[in-house]
Amino acid sequence: MRRQRTTLLAVSTLLTITLTAAPTPASAQSAPQPRQVTNLTVHQADGYATLAWTPVDDATDYQIERTAVDTDGTPTAAPTIVGIWRPNRQINQQAPTFADSGFNPGDTFQWRVRARTGTTEQPYSDPVTGTTTAPWGNPDTPGQQLRTQWETTHAAQYTSDTDEYAYTAAIDALSDRVRVVELGRTVQNRPINMLVIGHPTPATTPEAVAATAPVAINCNVHGNEPGDREACLIMARQLAFSTDPRITDLLRHTTVLIVPTINGDGRANNTRGNSTGQDLNRDYSLIRQPETAAYITMVRDYRPVAGYDGHEFGNSRAGDLPMLPPRHQNVAQPIFDQSQDMIEGHMYAKGAEAGWWPCPYGCEGGGNVGLSEETILRNTLGLKNVTNSLLELRSSGGQTRPDEGNTANNRRRKTYSALWTFQQFLDYHRADRADILTSRADAIKIQAANTGRLVFRGSRPIPAHPAPHPGDSPPPLDATPANLILDNAPCAYKLTDAQYNGARTDGPGGVGTTVAQRIAAHGWKVITTTDGYYVPLNQPERGLIPLLLDPTGVEKLTDGERVYPTLTGRRNGPLTVTGFTCAANATINGPVTVRAGAALVTTGTTISGPVTATRAAGIMLADSTVNGPVQITNTTDAVSIIDVTIAGPVSLTGNTTGTDLPLLAGSTIRGPLTCTGNNPTPTNLGVANTVHGPRTTQCAAL
Amino acid sequence: MPQPATAARHPRRRTLTLIASTLLLAACTGTPRTPDASAATPQVTGPLCAALPTGTDPGNPTFLASQPVEAALRWIPTLTTFEAALRTSGVLDDLPAGTAVTVLAPTDDAFAATFSEDNWDDLMTHHTDQLRTLLKAHLSTGAHPIDDLSTAGTTTTLDGATITVTRTGATTRLADRADTVCADYQATNARIHLINAVLGPLPATADGTGHRAH
Repeated sequence: MRRQRTTLLAVSTLLTITLTAAPTPASAQSAPQPRQVTNLTVHQADGYATLAWTPVDDATDYQIERTAVDTDGTPTAAPTIVGIWRPNRQINQQAPTFADSGFNPGDTFQWRVRARTGTTEQPYSDPVTGTTTAPWGNPDTPGQQLRTQWETTHAAQYTSDTDEYAYTAAIDALSDRVRVVELGRTVQNRPINMLVIGHPTPATTPEAVAATAPVAINCNVHGNEPGDREACLIMARQLAFSTDPRITDLLRHTTVLIVPTINGDGRANNTRGNSTGQDLNRDYSLIRQPETAAYITMVRDYRPVAGYDGHEFGNSRAGDLPMLPPRHQNVAQPIFDQSQDMIEGHMYAKGAEAGWWPCPYGCEGGGNVGLSEETILRNTLGLKNVTNSLLELRSSGGQTRPDEGNTANNRRRKTYSALWTFQQFLDYHRADRADILTSRADAIKIQAANTGRLVFRGSRPIPAHPAPHPGDSPPPLDATPANLILDNAPCAYKLTDAQYNGARTDGPGGVGTTVAQRIAAHGWKVITTTDGYYVPLNQPERGLIPLLLDPTGVEKLTDGERVYPTLTGRRNGPLTVTGFTCAANATINGPVTVRAGAALVTTGTTISGPVTATRAAGIMLADSTVNGPVQITNTTDAVSIIDVTIAGPVSLTGNTTGTDLPLLAGSTIRGPLTCTGNNPTPTNLGVANTVHGPRTTQCAAL
Repeated sequence: MPQPATAARHPRRRTLTLIASTLLLAACTGTPRTPDASAATPQVTGPLCAALPTGTDPGNPTFLASQPVEAALRWIPTLTTFEAALRTSGVLDDLPAGTAVTVLAPTDDAFAATFSEDNWDDLMTHHTDQLRTLLKAHLSTGAHPIDDLSTAGTTTTLDGATITVTRTGATTRLADRADTVCADYQATNARIHLINAVLGPLPATADGTGHRAH
């Protein structure tokens, strides 16, 4: 770690050069020719240049020409058409922009733009000459001077595993803002690292990071799709060393989690899957592989509230940046809506400013893509209440970037478009953080209430915008077939010991972790009683649980037994709970006592009277009301209180729930809250409680 | 970092682009890539050559001429599939030390047009023997310029197959199905010819519709 130098240049990624066409004296005296493009401007940014111009009446499209020039402006290469602007690129066709990219950053070029009416080429605009932005970081400033292998080889080589480790270790050593942690190892024992980035320093524990509402970028799951990973490595350097007030402001308000390479074995071998051939983006729910298990465990511990997942996409007709929210119908509506807002509200609008072309995944001719498999990170994260999106980088130049037969040009366009997206993602989180957190809190409450049908496959529709528009070709509808709908959701799934702890063969080399280990990695609460292992659905990841434990699950872990509520309707008089008791939409008038080793699970239930549990196996209350004191002592397995109104004092004392955190979230307590001697310490998952009374140490921050 | 902020403090930098890029390179941790002036200047030929590193670009043909063949293959951007397969299979490592070799290297596009992504992953992760046979169909002993191969008319690859080599105008056709797209890269004790189709006996599995869902 080194101190920041006070002599750093005041650099800014927001700062851009604007060069405007300087008419020659001759053309200055004459009006533009008919249908000639006018007012061409070129803004330089990291790895791309944004061209903007005044639109021409009746233009069908525009061609962007770039010519390499020397410092005197003399051409050093033939003019090349590098871009085709089409009206479906952006939401506001009346202010056309195009992000030219692929050139070697730092080189100098001259640009011209012309309209075409039909296939008729109209006159070129006056030229604009500019020097493009060199790779980020002052070469004389320690830290900033670091470069990836991809940068130093001018994109001829991707950054190798060893170069990545050296590069991230150097960032860690030179920046107080960065800590590199190892999340796990690949099948072939490569480290899976994560950069934890905050200002002035990142919070020290996962729980403390979680309290900052972090964002997570998964850069490279498919080994043969490495473009996003290079962007992540460059962005890590910018975040670590930039003195731009925008960057330091971002990092003061969150923690950025960057996982450059979850699939190091696949990257080294340039394969889509990992070294066992498993497509890891079909494994985030099942977590059969160590790579996905590492990521999901990270999500449990660091609790990112927003995410991006980087890919490349072979559809040559797609936009620059196909994106897609978590569509699975079990994803809570606020998370779907927030993710759509990030894509359509932010990325489409900012893309139109910068000249990039985001679009819904699939885009034109996308085919059978963008569906509801919960094994896909996009959906898994959505089911975990994370606002997020898939990001694709169109693999080929396609129809709108004809100069990408040159591999380096193609690779640079992809990486710098990903860099733009990830930076925009951080800006979105910064600007909309409150909304993101509200959506997350609402989603957690909705899920824990365990209401509404469950679907095992099936997507929410992505609405089509009237053409021309970036969103005029959404992915397929993907409605749920009737046999994959469960209208009557159970209260819990019960697993036998063989199901829960039995040996499995679905991992690398025919050895899988147990269901117990995978449920623990997801962070679900489990209650053990004398007759089995119960996984209640009144939890924040209610939509994901049945997909793995219900017999109807399409890609499930095991066939759990559906357990339905045992207590519904009105009940008067004292209630003593033994065994596993589930109350749903019940009204209980009388004191409730939960015996040692027993469990009480409620949703939609009102209890009038005290609730007392001593040495219970589990107490899980959601979307319920308790008119009376709640005293939960020495619980052994699970404590969870979500969206519960309690009129009376609440005491959580001496609960020892192993690695599972007691949960008190989104609830209102009209009385004092006492939390002492609990191990581990209770958490609120970032969903604040309202407490009308004093709170003791362990719950002081809840 | 935008140029003007730098330029404001260091007005001379904008005219010293070459020096600045040298500093950039010197600051990095990669291998040295200054061309070895003493090496012969290889003349690569074919329609793809212009889209690959040229002149003084990192990975240019002159620099590669001084590199071991494994390193040279890593520098050619369109060979990521072939290079990784060769490395994974260990076929080159099995050759006796000092064996001169000719590499007929299919481009990434050629692999994508031949194997579905699932099939390719399966070959890479589960069928090493098939993969090795496939790769041997792209290797022969002796460092042969492409014109020597076409003059001979045939060449025998390490899988035991003998394939035809025919000059067809500006490029050269191999086994009646692959054309050179950039021939005559040199590396230490090696020649590398980039070709646009996969050789060998494995059936094509790509269906042309191409893109896998994320």
